Order: sequence, then structure tokens, then C-alpha cells
Amino acid sequence: MTVFKIALVAACATAYSGVAQAEDLVDLKIDLPKPRFEGTPVPVKLPHLKKPLGHPRPLIKVPAGTHNIALKAKVTSSDMEPVIGEIELINDGDKEATDGSYVELGPFVQWIQFDFGAPKSISAIAVWHYHMQARVYHDVIVQIADDAAFKKNLKTVYNNDHDDSAELNLGAGKDLAYVEVNEGELIELKGIKTQFLRMYSNGNTANEMNHYTEVEIHGK
Amino acid sequence: MSDQLEKAEYNRREFLAASAAAGLGLSVAEALGQESKNKDEINIAIIGAGTQGRVLMNSILKIPGVRIKAVGDIWEYSQRYTSRYVKKFGHENNVYADYKELLAKEKDLDAVVTAAPDWMHAPISIAALEAGLHVYCEKMMSNNAEAARSMVKARDKSGKLLQIGHQRRSNPRYLHVKHKLLGEAKLLGPQINYANAQWNRGIKTDNTWPSKYEMAQEELEKWGYDSMHTFRNWRWFKKYGGGPISDLGAHQIDVLNWFYGSTPKAVMGSGGIDFYEKVEHNDTNMLIYEYDLPNSKTGRAFYQVLTTTSSLGFLERFMGTEGTLAFSEAPRWNEVYREVSTEEEWTKWAEKGYIAKEGAKDTGDEEKVVDIRQSPAPEKWLIPVENDKPIHMYHLENFFAAIRDGVPLNCPAEIGFQTCATVLKGTEAINTGKRIEFTEDDFKI
Repeated sequence: MTVFKIALVAACATAYSGVAQAEDLVDLKIDLPKPRFEGTPVPVKLPHLKKPLGHPRPLIKVPAGTHNIALKAKVTSSDMEPVIGEIELINDGDKEATDGSYVELGPFVQWIQFDFGAPKSISAIAVWHYHMQARVYHDVIVQIADDAAFKKNLKTVYNNDHDDSAELNLGAGKDLAYVEVNEGELIELKGIKTQFLRMYSNGNTANEMNHYTEVEIHGK
Repeated sequence: MSDQLEKAEYNRREFLAASAAAGLGLSVAEALGQESKNKDEINIAIIGAGTQGRVLMNSILKIPGVRIKAVGDIWEYSQRYTSRYVKKFGHENNVYADYKELLAKEKDLDAVVTAAPDWMHAPISIAALEAGLHVYCEKMMSNNAEAARSMVKARDKSGKLLQIGHQRRSNPRYLHVKHKLLGEAKLLGPQINYANAQWNRGIKTDNTWPSKYEMAQEELEKWGYDSMHTFRNWRWFKKYGGGPISDLGAHQIDVLNWFYGSTPKAVMGSGGIDFYEKVEHNDTNMLIYEYDLPNSKTGRAFYQVLTTTSSLGFLERFMGTEGTLAFSEAPRWNEVYREVSTEEEWTKWAEKGYIAKEGAKDTGDEEKVVDIRQSPAPEKWLIPVENDKPIHMYHLENFFAAIRDGVPLNCPAEIGFQTCATVLKGTEAINTGKRIEFTEDDFKI
């Protein structure tokens, strides 16, 4: 595994959203899996596709003490019988693009859900759906709620479903679609508090299935 | 059932209902698993159900009237993966490790699709043809010319169809280029004088496997493999495959033959194992093929497969005295250039929709200095064909239409065999360091 080495640079800031008082901020360290592509690439043409940066993703600042709280979270899914792999692979710490590292959920709209056991402050999500092939996952949506059934105080905090094709009636999502690469996608949440977090997808540009190699949720 | 589970289930049924409405004559209930067979329905088995097998299944699932009844693969991981994959779309299926058992027990099949490792294409295809089934066989046809030849003979003996998976032959963009731009408009001039094509792929690490699905040594040996590593990385080993020039290059070398309208008369090459360790096939392949042209001159084609750089990706280019075509299975390359010396204007072809003018572009960044050593820059046009289906789907649709309606196959076995022989001679040219003249026997069935 390639380690994206950075110095932990402490800073004193008050600008961090949701943080009531001055808090030490540090760079978020994310270990990257090896890049890997195989098979014939599938052409991708989407109206809301984010352009590749062409360079490593800039570091973001998070409160000191932030760590991957997904590792100890309880994970459930809309697909109780995945095509291959187990739900446990979503938060097992292995994000390499190899067979046996990912779970494949069934077609169309599917979700996974994290229960942290108690409300946590979440700074960012790093998600690797499936980076063995350059592809785009449709309708990536992140929601939080106060209950496991996602009925109480439901909030959408990320949404790249630009045409509401997931039919969640959220309106046009403003976030951009992105190509799967070994960097994964970093979704900044800037300290939102929740015990329950749900992630949706709606197939991808290569097939109708939904994959998760790893999800890191950085919080405290 | 939660709201989202209900929604997922609704979408799945909607997808299947759409397939039914598209002409297969199935009700949703039937599509979801009932056993009755419609007369227009085609029952198939997939043999060799790994990554490429699932790519093909993904397209087949979108084709109305095709039912996936059986899954065959020697590896439990692939059995489980592909069987459950197609079940998600309502295709109940039986699973087998041994393709012979599958063919013996599955009595309601019309066709077999195989994406097994190349060395198994011949035994699986021949057994299926002898069982009275049509066969769609992934490319390359075989890593052995004699085995490929035996597939054509078995096809002839069976009277069934054998389509080889050179899917560019069914790609609407390639068909447009071949028949409209080259055939009718003759945009390159009277003939193709030169071609070059490439597939450059970046460094790739070895395939691994989940430890819980590791096959026992005796099981591996039973199926002809000496280790899990060899099994999972068969493309690098001579017993099982033809190497990158086969895995990647065969697609484009097939296009060279197709567009030149013949098989080559000679090949020379250079290459070797320049980077990877513990592999048997060349990771670097550079070939020059020579073709007889209608005017008794020679057309030449340079082809390369590099596996340690992704520089410029993969594309094919054909050149004549009046223009150049640059295109690819990927949308990145989709252009045709008119030589400034060409007398004929191309506007009329644009009016017919064969080509399109690139949008006016003056960013101010263009080179302002004229280099008098260069020929004047050619005029750039675009090829206005965008594909909206998975790239393998068109070729599979052709196969099933041939079964159902008798339309001609776009890559019947004898064509696949010619391509296979062309590729394998290229490897021989590299490995011997000699220029090889093709003979009639090389392409004779």
C-alpha cells in the first residue's frame, strides 16, 4: 500500500464549520491503495462529470484526533444477499483493487448504512467503490438521520444525482460525478454530527451493480 | 421490506418489464424465473464465467429474449459471482465446474457463450457445437493455430454458428468508417496506403485471489494449472494464452485485416520481455504487416502493444493520399483529416451526415509560427457516430439475431481464424527475429 505521507501540521483555527471553539486542525492523512486498471475501459459521457485534477488531491484540515470511525461502526445494507463479497469488506481497512476486497451489491438503487453507536462529529468520507476500472457510480448520495430507519431529522449532505434518477425526490443534486481512481473520492462534511449515515448509489457506467471496496469515515 | 428495498425491487422489475415489452414476448413473471420457454427465446450457458464472462453477461442481460440457464466455471469464486449476478436479474441458473457435465445435463440450451482462458476455447466450443449448440467464443480464438482451425472444421460439421468475439466488427462507428467513409465516400483516396495502431497499457500488477477461495493443488492440477498464481494470471503463460499481443492486439490486428480487405503477405517484428518478471509472453510487441493492394503496390501497417505505458491509449489510424482516419473503440479518437492537396471538398459528406465539422475554435493558443519544413496541416473533421450501448453488446446482438433471424454473423469462425493466424505469426516473427512470408496454407481451413 502506498502511504500518502504528510506531516501533521497543527494549526489553530476557528473557521471549521460546526466547531464552536478554537480547535487544533491537522492535515487529514489518507493511505492510498495501489492504482490498478484492467479490462476494456467503458466510455464515460456524463453531463456533470468532474474533471480529473491531474495531480494529487490537496490535503484538507480536520480537527486533531480525527480518525476512521467506520472501522468500528455497524454496517448494514439494502442488499442482504450481495452478489459477491460480504458487507464486512466495506470497513475492513482493505482498499486494494483486488478480487476479495470488495462487496458487490445488486442492481439499481442500493444503500449501505453506518451506525456509530453514538453521535459523532464527521469531517469527511473517503469512498472507494471499485477502482479496478475507470468508471463512474451513478447517484452517489449521503444522508444522515437521527434514527436507524432514516425517518427522523433526515438530511442530505452530499448528492451527485443530477437528474433525480435515484427517485429519492431530493431534486437535482449539485455535487459532481467522479471517475473511480485509487485516490477514492473525498467528501467533506465539515463536522456534521450524527449517529447514523447512509450512502446510496445507483449502478455505474460499466454495469448496473453497486460496489464498495472501502469506506473511511473520518470523525471523532 | 424497507422503502429502499421496495424501490430496488421495483426498479428491477421495471427493467425486466422493459425487456419484455421490447419484444421477447415474456411476461414479467416469466422473466423473473418461470421455466416455460417462448419460441423466440434463446437459452444460453456461459462457460468461463470470470471477469470477461460477466462483462458479456452484463450486455446479454440487456438483450431481450435471451435466458441464462447455466453457469460453468472451474473456480468457485467465479461460479458464485456470475451465478448470483444473473440471478439478480431473474435468471435462475444451474452451476457447474465441468463444462462437459454442463453440456450433458442442460438439455434446453440453444447456445453457449464462452469466455474461458484461450487454451480452452477449442475444446469447449467444439464440444458445444457437437452438442448441437451455437457458440459465441471470446477472442482470441485460440493460442494455437491448429486448435483454431479445428474449431472452424467443427463449426462446418455441425452446421451451427460460431461467432468470434472481435466486437469491433459490430461496432456502429467502425461499420460507419468501413462502409461509409472508406467504401462509399473513399475519403482516404483510392486505397489505404498505411496504417498504424496501438494499444498502450500502463503497468499492471498480478491478479490475486481471495484466500477463502483458493483452490486445492489437486483441484488446480485436475483442470491443468500448476498454481493459483498461474491460474489467475494465465494470460502471461504460453500454455494458456497468447500474451498481450493476443489479449489486446488481436482486436486491432483484426481491424487491419478487415479494413485492408485481406490477410497480410508478410510480417516482421521486434519485441521481448523487457519489464515483467516470471512471465512467458512478450510484454513489448512491435510489428509491421504488409498487405497486397489492388494496384499491385504494398500497404504497410505498424502495430504495437506496450504494457508499461498508457501513452495515447489505444486507437487505429489509416492513411491514404487524400486523408487520414484516427478512431478507436474509445470516444477519445474519432477524427478524419483531409489532405490540403485533395481536390474534392468534403462538405457534401458532411451534408449527408457522414462526417461533421469540428466547432470553430480559436483559443489564441495555436502555434503562430509557420514551420516551412512541414506540410500544410490537414483539415480536421469528426466522425459523428456515438455508441450508446456497452461495447460488446452490438456483437452479441448480431450473434443472437443470426440465431433467431438468420442474419449473417459479423465475425464468423473463418474470419476469427484468419485473425488468429495473423497474430500468432506476428509473435513468431518477434521471437525468431525473422521476416515471415505468409503462405496460403497459413489461412487454409
